[in-house]
Amino acid sequence: MSSKSAFQTATGDSLPADISCRWPLFVLLSGAVFWLLAGSILTLIGTIKFHAPDFLAEPAWLTYGRVRPAGLNAMIYGFCLPSALGLTLWLLARLGRTTLAGAIPVVFGGLLWHLGVGAGVVGVLSGDATGFEHLEFPSYAVAMIAASYLVLGVAGVLTFRQRAERGLFVTQWFLLAAIFWFPWIYSTATILTSVYPVRGMAQAVVGWWFSANLILVWFGLVGLGIVFYLLPRLLDRELESHYLAMFVFWMLILFGTWTGIPKTAPVPAWIPMMSKVTTVLAGLALLGAALILHRTLGADYRLLSTDPSLMFAGFAVASFVIAGFMGIAEVLSGASSMLHLSWYATARSWLQLYGFFAMALFAGIYYVWPQLTGRPFPLPRLVRLHFWLAASGVMLAVIPLAVGGIVQDGNHANPEMAFVDVAKGTLTFLRISSIGDVLTLAGHFLLALNVLLAIGAFCWDRVRIALRTATIELQEQGVNS
Amino acid sequence: MSSGMRATGTRDTVVAEPKASRAPVPVWLFFLLFVLLFWAMYEFDRRGGWFHSQVYTPYRSLAELQRYQPATGGISLERGKVVYETVCALCHNTDGSGKPNQAPPLSGADWVVGSPDRLIRIPLAGLTGPIEVKGQTWNLAMPAMGAALSDDDLAAVLTYMRSAWGNQAEAITPDQVAAVRAALAGRMQPYTAAELQAIP
Ligand code: HEC
Repeated sequence: MSSKSAFQTATGDSLPADISCRWPLFVLLSGAVFWLLAGSILTLIGTIKFHAPDFLAEPAWLTYGRVRPAGLNAMIYGFCLPSALGLTLWLLARLGRTTLAGAIPVVFGGLLWHLGVGAGVVGVLSGDATGFEHLEFPSYAVAMIAASYLVLGVAGVLTFRQRAERGLFVTQWFLLAAIFWFPWIYSTATILTSVYPVRGMAQAVVGWWFSANLILVWFGLVGLGIVFYLLPRLLDRELESHYLAMFVFWMLILFGTWTGIPKTAPVPAWIPMMSKVTTVLAGLALLGAALILHRTLGADYRLLSTDPSLMFAGFAVASFVIAGFMGIAEVLSGASSMLHLSWYATARSWLQLYGFFAMALFAGIYYVWPQLTGRPFPLPRLVRLHFWLAASGVMLAVIPLAVGGIVQDGNHANPEMAFVDVAKGTLTFLRISSIGDVLTLAGHFLLALNVLLAIGAFCWDRVRIALRTATIELQEQGVNS
Repeated sequence: MSSGMRATGTRDTVVAEPKASRAPVPVWLFFLLFVLLFWAMYEFDRRGGWFHSQVYTPYRSLAELQRYQPATGGISLERGKVVYETVCALCHNTDGSGKPNQAPPLSGADWVVGSPDRLIRIPLAGLTGPIEVKGQTWNLAMPAMGAALSDDDLAAVLTYMRSAWGNQAEAITPDQVAAVRAALAGRMQPYTAAELQAIP
């Protein structure tokens, strides 16, 4: 080690998995960070309109009905999916002690993915949205994303197949299941809503089914897969335990996939009823995940603060559990309660999407990136700052909305109160939650800054090495002659 | 670089990928699983309508649903509505509310939802003289508007009247109509209210 010069330590010695994942993940992750920024800015514009309806009211493409879905879809398809897939590929290569299969196709697949998201966001803003929540992207964007997924998914499966380490770790089952789960739900939902649409209410049922499968099951599989890797890795101990993780896995898959149909859905009673009981049963996955965190930490939660990725990961598991129980409260609330039609539901799905999944992805990105470049992030302090901004931002966004939703639900049941007054009553809560959105956005800038500087530093390293080698060669030639 | 350096921001050079312990799942989780499964089946059985495509919340079963169906006894309400609108609505109004000085109301009238034997006689033979309907006395005459209708059609229209506009009474079957028609034995004389009251 000591014989090597500084620049060699920086880029030499990298594991084959890390080297092969470098450019594919640069493309997937930096594009993801771009969409994270774009998505959160669009969402923020949408939120501001609640306080100042005149704000950017003029151009049609910046109206609420377009910026809100554009922002949310940029968040899901622009940030969540590509970072999840990038981290999945890296984890499968690392855990299998192999290299990434098809690294070059993956680079192009990643580019195509981000182009597809671009087309989708522009499409939604220009009025081409499909009208199904979480599936708003128009067909041309969906085609690009699907083609790209084919490349990334196949690369994932091939990487898994060529693994040198035969024993499987928990994370691998979660990620492999996720690789197959997404194309199943995405193609089913797209075909049944847009290509050969089913009739009437069945379309809405397909939409609800897809949202629940994406947000609870798929996010759950990938997010927990990442967290279950980082916990033992960063704590330098075993995950507690293999069987508990298996329990979580099956509960999530068996029961989670039935959830999501609200009780007021105008469909035969068995559909919402099935959703209700499975939502409660999927609660076992939440308990299991909480137990895994608790036992792996040995009940010492202060250990989380030793590492920023652990902080993100711990927060993610907590959000997963809380959001899940919020969902259970929603289905168990009395027949007269319409919580699922209030801001409470928005709060819950945001906690699931951001508090859990995005936070787990941040944990993964902050951990994995330095493995790829062989250098720490240029501004390490900002990583912790990002955590605090994100954590307080999520709480500020979610808690007021949840409380506001409960108040709103109570007021809706009051016949004396006009609907407009009920809506106005939620305004204070919305204001506070917008502050949360601003904080999370600030955090995204910190992440973007670190990623930009890290890519810059990596490229600069490359140039320096090239120059140094060239100089040495020249000198040697000089000595020889 | 030691293998211990595995913090965010440093790089792994020695690969000791994580392992999971083989500690078993706590028994209470399985216990909870079975309790919840039992609850889920109970709850589904109680309110899930057993996959029936016509049972919607808040109804729980087909049987419960049928209790709230208008009583028709196999007679077509659509047919009844058509007959009503072509034969009776002219005087009694399409919504059964009657018309001042022309015909008394049928909605909410005891004559309609009450004894089938009295009701069937009115259109078969006609009605004349003073009659009290919903607390108001009318003194007009109604011709035998239903005498020319078939048993099926008359049963249908009467059944429709007994289930429309908030009325709720059991259906009248073609057999009942046929029986009354036979009992009248070609009577042409319109009934009076007093005469009808004598019929059970
Ligand atoms: C030409 C107008 C006219 C038509 C058509 C007519 N009715 Fe009447 N109906 C009357 C009048 C008038 C009375 C009240 C007679 C009286 O005052 O004694 C009456 C009374 C009744 C009553 C008892 C009082 C009440 O309101 O409950 C019933 C039952 C009734 N009609 C049924 C029918 C049915 C069934 C038809 C169609 C098959 C029909 N009517 C068609 C004029 C009509």
